[in-house]
Amino acid sequence: MNTLYLEMGLRGTGVILLGLVLANFVAAKRLRYAENLAGSEVMVRQIFYVHCAYIISIISGLALLCLGWPQLLLEGGMGQVLSGFFGLFWASRVVVQLTYYDKELRRRERGWDVFFLLVFVVLCAVFTLATIYQ
Amino acid sequence: MKELLQIGLMIGGWSLVALCIASFWIPKVLCWREKLAGLTPLMRELWWTYSIYVWISHAFFAVLALSFRDWLMGGSGSAMAMCSFMLLWWAVRLWLQFFGFDLREVEGTLHNRIAKQLLTLLFMGLVVLYASLLCWNAGWLERGFLP
Repeated sequence: MNTLYLEMGLRGTGVILLGLVLANFVAAKRLRYAENLAGSEVMVRQIFYVHCAYIISIISGLALLCLGWPQLLLEGGMGQVLSGFFGLFWASRVVVQLTYYDKELRRRERGWDVFFLLVFVVLCAVFTLATIYQ
Repeated sequence: MKELLQIGLMIGGWSLVALCIASFWIPKVLCWREKLAGLTPLMRELWWTYSIYVWISHAFFAVLALSFRDWLMGGSGSAMAMCSFMLLWWAVRLWLQFFGFDLREVEGTLHNRIAKQLLTLLFMGLVVLYASLLCWNAGWLERGFLP
């Protein structure tokens, strides 16, 4: 596969990842994180927000890498390992979406469910291709 | 200095392996199951999803430290970027350890106190390690001075 196409694909995923970062903030409001966590213990609330922030930081870092330096993910060696890791990362997110999240909620929010499923499939596909074709 | 950093990466890597293994006890020690019982199913699912992804990231950092030492010390732009990211990751975690988490509700048993001190030491060590690696990759340590 042409490296240029892969670079373009990675830049595209960078935009998608930025969208995901923003979506996390929208989800916090829409799914009422604050109200839902209000009755829980302080430690539970803090760990939830810390884990959430760390996940957002990973996605932001990856978005930055894809938008600014996609060639680093294509230069073999560690680039291949990183691409492979994120290929698996997003593949596992597809599995989580399909098997773990509440089916009733997914049915109620079918539009968003399908949309995010597609987003994760695309991310998985691009990083897997970047791993294989270099 | 290079040998010192290589040893540091080996110790850091194995410490992260230990952290990943010890993480399996955290839900039990902090009684997550009971404490999460009051949450809605979606919040519980999000909780476990986030926790597992953070655990995966720690496992990946361990793999990097143990299997890609030469790359992490290679001085490339990507190595510097990765070291900066991991430095930021552990520096924030260290800050949270001192100023972020309210640990009053954790039982003050001997085990818990030892675990807390060990975790603090680990985070400090990782901050020092990745800061040193960043300086090494930038060429500051190699030349024998820091700006």
